Amino acid sequence: MNPVYALSEDQRDCLQEIVNVAMGQAGDSLARYLETFIQLSVPKIRLVESSELVPELQKMSEGAEFISAVRQGFFTAKGNAQIRGEAIVVFGDESFHELADLLAYDGELSTQDQTELLLEVANILSSACLIGLAEQMDVELGFSPPSVIGQNITIHRVVNADRLNWSRALFVEIKYTLEQRSFNCSLLLMMPGEAIDAVTATLDLLLAD
Amino acid sequence: MARKQVQKSLPEAWDVNVTLATNGIEGIEAIRNGKGEMVFLDLTMPDMDGYEVLAKVKEEGHKAIIIVISADIQPEARERVMGLGALDFIKKPVNPEKLHAVLSAYGLL
Repeated sequence: MNPVYALSEDQRDCLQEIVNVAMGQAGDSLARYLETFIQLSVPKIRLVESSELVPELQKMSEGAEFISAVRQGFFTAKGNAQIRGEAIVVFGDESFHELADLLAYDGELSTQDQTELLLEVANILSSACLIGLAEQMDVELGFSPPSVIGQNITIHRVVNADRLNWSRALFVEIKYTLEQRSFNCSLLLMMPGEAIDAVTATLDLLLAD
Repeated sequence: MARKQVQKSLPEAWDVNVTLATNGIEGIEAIRNGKGEMVFLDLTMPDMDGYEVLAKVKEEGHKAIIIVISADIQPEARERVMGLGALDFIKKPVNPEKLHAVLSAYGLL
């Protein structure tokens, strides 16, 4: 029998709550960095088939023509559960100017400045969120350094759909927005195939407590 | 999940009727129907968030004791809800000890 890689209602509920808490921790880190209030919304959890990848990514970027994105891999550093995946932070195309403005940069940002800014903000969000998740799930997660996927690219270039090694993945999408500004970014945790089972097994342990 | 956690954390000796709401709209409806003498309110909710519920309660003048329980740990989130009339703010994840400490601090136990 093929594995189903699915979530029960209890597992989904439990994950939703854990993600909520991690989202809040990452939001707070970003708020402190940008010295502003971050608006949070309910994180979205769903299972995505590889054939649906592109439309799912488009949904996430809400029709933005160009985005910039940073990725960071994560994996269980210790223990039996083989949780692994990628944390991808997607910035809307207006977000550079907003970030530069918030951080009081003068003048035009060089490409180098933009890259550093992207890496910095993405790293703040992904690492705070992953640390929050790991803490609550009682696992140890390691993560790779962040790298830029691309700046001002179209959304379908964020994940190379031709080279996927999974047919189904767990998507956790967390959106951060600012009031009265066009800055928006989404943190996507993408956990493929067997990693879904590792997540559900970990959730079952928490539910059994 | 969060609702269940809160429900499980309520004092056992409390003789109260508990009404659960899955979003802000259901929440404000329950309060309008007199079921919100005491309210545990989340902030991030679909359809109507916790800030909007607090604003409505204030606007409509309901007598509800509201304790916010949220994962939004930004200091400004706390300031905002306190400004909107919340009694206190508890950070998620919630557990019986935290909840009881807040309740007894206000003489609600």
